[in-house]
Amino acid sequence: MRNPILLLTALIALTACEKDKPTPTIDQRAYSVTTNGNVVTVRNLPADTIVGTTSQGQPIGAGRYTFFSLESNQWIPNSDSNSNRWDLAFAGTTVRVNNLTSGPGAGGAFVFNGPFETLTSVPADSTFRVDNHPVSYAIPRGSGRAWYTYDGPTNLLIPIPGRTLVIRTASGQRAKVDIFNYYRGGVTPSASAPDSIKIRDQRFFHFRFTKF
Amino acid sequence: MKGGILLWLVFLIHFCSWGQSDSVSSLQEVVITATRQERRVGNVAVPVTLIQKTQIQQAGSLRLRDILQEQNGLVMTSAFGVGLQMQGLNPEHTLILVDGQPLVGRTSGVLDLNRIALAGIKRIEIVKGPSSSLYGSEAMAGVINLITESPGKKELSGSIRYGTGNPESGWALPFSSNGFQQVDLAVQVGYQAGKWRFRHSNNFLYSEAISFRPFSTDRVPRPTHRLTHQTSFDRPIGERTELKGLIRFNQDRIQQEFAVQNNGQLIESYGREKNSEWNIQPTITHRFNQRLKMHTRGFFTRYTGDQRLSFIQQPDSSYLDRFEQGLYRIEQQVDWSLDKSTFIVGTGYQLDQARSTRYDALDRIKQNRVAYAFFQWEWALHDKWISVVGARYDDNQLFAAALTPKWSVKYKPSEKWSVQASVGQGFKAPDFRQLYLNFTNNAAGGYSVYGTQDAIRVITELQRLGQIADLQPDFSNLSSLTPEYSTGSNLGVSYQPAQSLSIRLNGFRNDIRSLIDVRQVATRVDGSQIFSYLNVRRAFTQGLETEVKWRPQAHWTLQVGYQWLQTGDKDELDRIKKGMEYLRAPDGSSRVMSTREYIGLPNRSEHQAQVKLTYQPAEDRFLFIRALYRSRWIVANSNGNGVHDDQDEVASGFLQVNLSGGIPIRNNLKLQAGIENLFNYQDVIYLPNFPGRNLYLTLNYTL
Repeated sequence: MRNPILLLTALIALTACEKDKPTPTIDQRAYSVTTNGNVVTVRNLPADTIVGTTSQGQPIGAGRYTFFSLESNQWIPNSDSNSNRWDLAFAGTTVRVNNLTSGPGAGGAFVFNGPFETLTSVPADSTFRVDNHPVSYAIPRGSGRAWYTYDGPTNLLIPIPGRTLVIRTASGQRAKVDIFNYYRGGVTPSASAPDSIKIRDQRFFHFRFTKF
Repeated sequence: MKGGILLWLVFLIHFCSWGQSDSVSSLQEVVITATRQERRVGNVAVPVTLIQKTQIQQAGSLRLRDILQEQNGLVMTSAFGVGLQMQGLNPEHTLILVDGQPLVGRTSGVLDLNRIALAGIKRIEIVKGPSSSLYGSEAMAGVINLITESPGKKELSGSIRYGTGNPESGWALPFSSNGFQQVDLAVQVGYQAGKWRFRHSNNFLYSEAISFRPFSTDRVPRPTHRLTHQTSFDRPIGERTELKGLIRFNQDRIQQEFAVQNNGQLIESYGREKNSEWNIQPTITHRFNQRLKMHTRGFFTRYTGDQRLSFIQQPDSSYLDRFEQGLYRIEQQVDWSLDKSTFIVGTGYQLDQARSTRYDALDRIKQNRVAYAFFQWEWALHDKWISVVGARYDDNQLFAAALTPKWSVKYKPSEKWSVQASVGQGFKAPDFRQLYLNFTNNAAGGYSVYGTQDAIRVITELQRLGQIADLQPDFSNLSSLTPEYSTGSNLGVSYQPAQSLSIRLNGFRNDIRSLIDVRQVATRVDGSQIFSYLNVRRAFTQGLETEVKWRPQAHWTLQVGYQWLQTGDKDELDRIKKGMEYLRAPDGSSRVMSTREYIGLPNRSEHQAQVKLTYQPAEDRFLFIRALYRSRWIVANSNGNGVHDDQDEVASGFLQVNLSGGIPIRNNLKLQAGIENLFNYQDVIYLPNFPGRNLYLTLNYTL
C-alpha cells in the first residue's frame, strides 16, 4: 500500500471494529439461568413481587408462588403446581419443597451451616425435613433461622453468607442451593435508600445450585 | 454571602495585643463530682474534664450539645435526639446531673442534649469511668454534672443573640426569607432579700430548622421554642446550718412537618412535640464542727413529653404519644474529715414513676422503689499517694439489687508527674420501657415490642387465640430483667514539664455484661414480629485518650485532643474465632471471616480528634477556633452475617470547624460573633440533627 496513513487508518478502523463487535448483553435485571460446569446460577427469579398495599399500608404480593425445577433448571408454570415437575416454590421469603402439604413429590430440605463450596456430599444419615404448611416448613421462616436475616430499622432482607440449603428434589435427588440475593438486579439497596425502592425491588431470588 | 467573611475580617483587625498570662494547668480548679465533695483536680484519682463558664461563652455554646461535641472523647449520636457516647458506651450509660441530681425523661435511653440550656451554668464537670459507687444507676461510662451559678453577688446581666443560616446554600442574609433564624435571649438576676440570696436565670431560644428527615420532599423551616427558668437560692439557718437549693423549669415546643414518598404515595405528616420538666432540689447542710458535716437533700423531678403526629392524607392514623416520668428522692450524706482520711457515708430512698400511652394504659402508673446506701474512704498518704475506696448498694423493688464498688489511686512522685489508676463497677437498672412497653407499630410492618413484665403473658394469650405462628428460641429465655453491669478500668499519666505545657494520657477498658438487647421472641400468623428484652449481650470498649495543652506565648493557647477507640461484641468475636461467621465475595461465594476483618459495635468511630486554638490578647478580646474530626462509623449491617465488617454500610468521617471571637464595646457591653460549622458539613441521612452553617452575633450586657 502506497499510503501509510491510509494503512494506519484502516488498521485502527479494523481494531475498533473488533472491539465494537456486539457481545451478548445480559440484562442484569431480567430472569436468567446460566450454567458453569455443574453449578447452575439463577438470577432475578420473581417470587410474588409487590403489587400494592393493604388498607393498613403494608406492601403485599398477589399471593402466587413461583415454581422451579432443580432437575430441568427451569421456571415451571403454575399450572404444573400439583406435579413432580418442580422442586422449590418461592413466595416472598417462604421457600417450600415438593412434599406433603406442599406438593405430591418426595421433596425435603435442611439447612447446612457452612459455605456452598465446602459441602461436597450429603452425609448418609442426614435428616430431611418436610413442610407442614402453614405451621412449619422444611426451610424455616424467620430472620436468622434459615437463609436470611431481616433488619427492621433498615427494612432490608439479606441472605446469610455461609448458609447452604440441602434439597431433596421431588424425585428424591440431592442438591445444594445457595441463595445469595433477594433484590432485582442482584444488588441489595443501600440501607439509606427510600422504602419505595426497597419494596419495589424485593422478592427477586438469586441462587446457585448443584446436584450431587 | 461574603458579607459574613468581611465582617469577620473587620472584627479580627480590631484586636490589639496586651493581656495576661497564666498557666495551662487546671490542677488548682475545683471539682465536686469525682468524690461528692470539693477537691482540687490535681488531687482526684479519676479522669476529669472541667469546662468553665468562660469556655462555654467563648465557644458561643447555647445548649449542652454545643459544648460537649467539642470535648475530647465525647461523640454525639443522632437517634432519638442528640445523645452522648462516652468511652464508646451508649447514651443510656452516661448519667447527666444538674447540681448532683439526675435529669430524667429519656427516649429509648437517650437524653436529648439540646434540651439542656447552658445559661445559668457556671461549670460542667465530666468524670469518665464507672461512677455507680457514688451515683447509682446509669453511671457506667461516666457522669456529666452541670453546676449552676450560685446565688451571692448582686447582678443584672443579659445577652441577646441572633443567628442565621441556610443549610442548602450555606449562606443567608440576616432576616432574609431563605434563611433560618435563631434568637436566643438570656437574663440573669442576682439579689439578696434579708437572709435569702437568689439568682434567677431565664433563657429563651427560638430557632428554625428544617426537618432533616431523609427523603423528605418538604424542606420548609419550622420553629422550635425552648424556655428555661432556673432559680438557685440559699439562706443561713443559724450559725452552722445552711439551706441551699435549685428550682428549674424547662419547656420545649418542637414542630416538625415533612412529606414522605411511600410507595409512590405522598404522606404529609405534622408533628407537634411539647416537653416540660420540673426540678426542685433543696439541701440543708449542717456543720457539727470543723470535721463533721451533714447534708440532707430532697429531690423532686417530673418530666412530661407529648408528641402528636397527624397525617394529612390519613387523618385516622393520627396518634398522640404521651410519656410522664417522676423521680422523688430523699438523701442523707455525712462527711467526716480526719487528718489523713475523709469518710463519706450516705443513704437514700427513691420513688420512680412513669406512665405512658406506650405502656398498657395511660392511667396505670408504673413504679419502682429504690433504697440505697454508699460510703467512700479517701486516704492521703505522705502527700504523694491518694487512695479512694467506695461502694454503693442499690436495693430495687422490681429487679435484683446492685452492688458497685470502686477503687482509685493516685501517685504524684513530683510536681511534674502523676500517675492514676482506677477500677470500678457501673450498673444501669432496666428502665420502664424495657419492663412495660406495649407498642405495636402499625405504620411499619405491624411489629410489636413488649416489656418483660408483660411479654410472656401477652404472647401466651395470643397463642391461645391462635394468633402466634411460631415462638423463637429466645422466647424460652424470657425472664425478669437484671441490671446491666460494667467493669471499667482507667490508667492515666499526666506530665507537666513547664507551666506552659501539659500532657495527659489515659487508657481505658470497659467490660459490659448482661446488656439488654431487643430480640425477636415470636412471630404472628400474619408474619409480623414480636420483640422483647433480654439480658444477653456482652461487649467491650477500650481506647486511649490524650490531650496536650500548650501556651507558647502569653496570648496563645493550643489544645490538641485525640481518642482512639476499639469496641466489640464478645459473642460476635467468639463466633468469628470459631469460624462461624462468613463474608460473601463479589461472585456470590462465601468464605470464613477472620477476626482482623471485624469492626465492632456500630456507631463507633475509631478516631476522634480536635484542635483548639485560642488567641486572647485581653480578657474580653479573644478569637477561638476549633477543628473537630470524627472518623467513619458503621451504620448498618448490609451483608447478612451477624457482625460488622468492611462490607457493611458506613457513614463517612467528617471535619467540623467552629469559629468565634469577642471584643468589648463599652465598659459593660461585649460583642461576640461566630460561625458554627464553617464548611457547612452536612450528612442528611446519617447525621439528621446536625445543623448546617450558622452565623451569629451576640450582645452581652452586664450592669
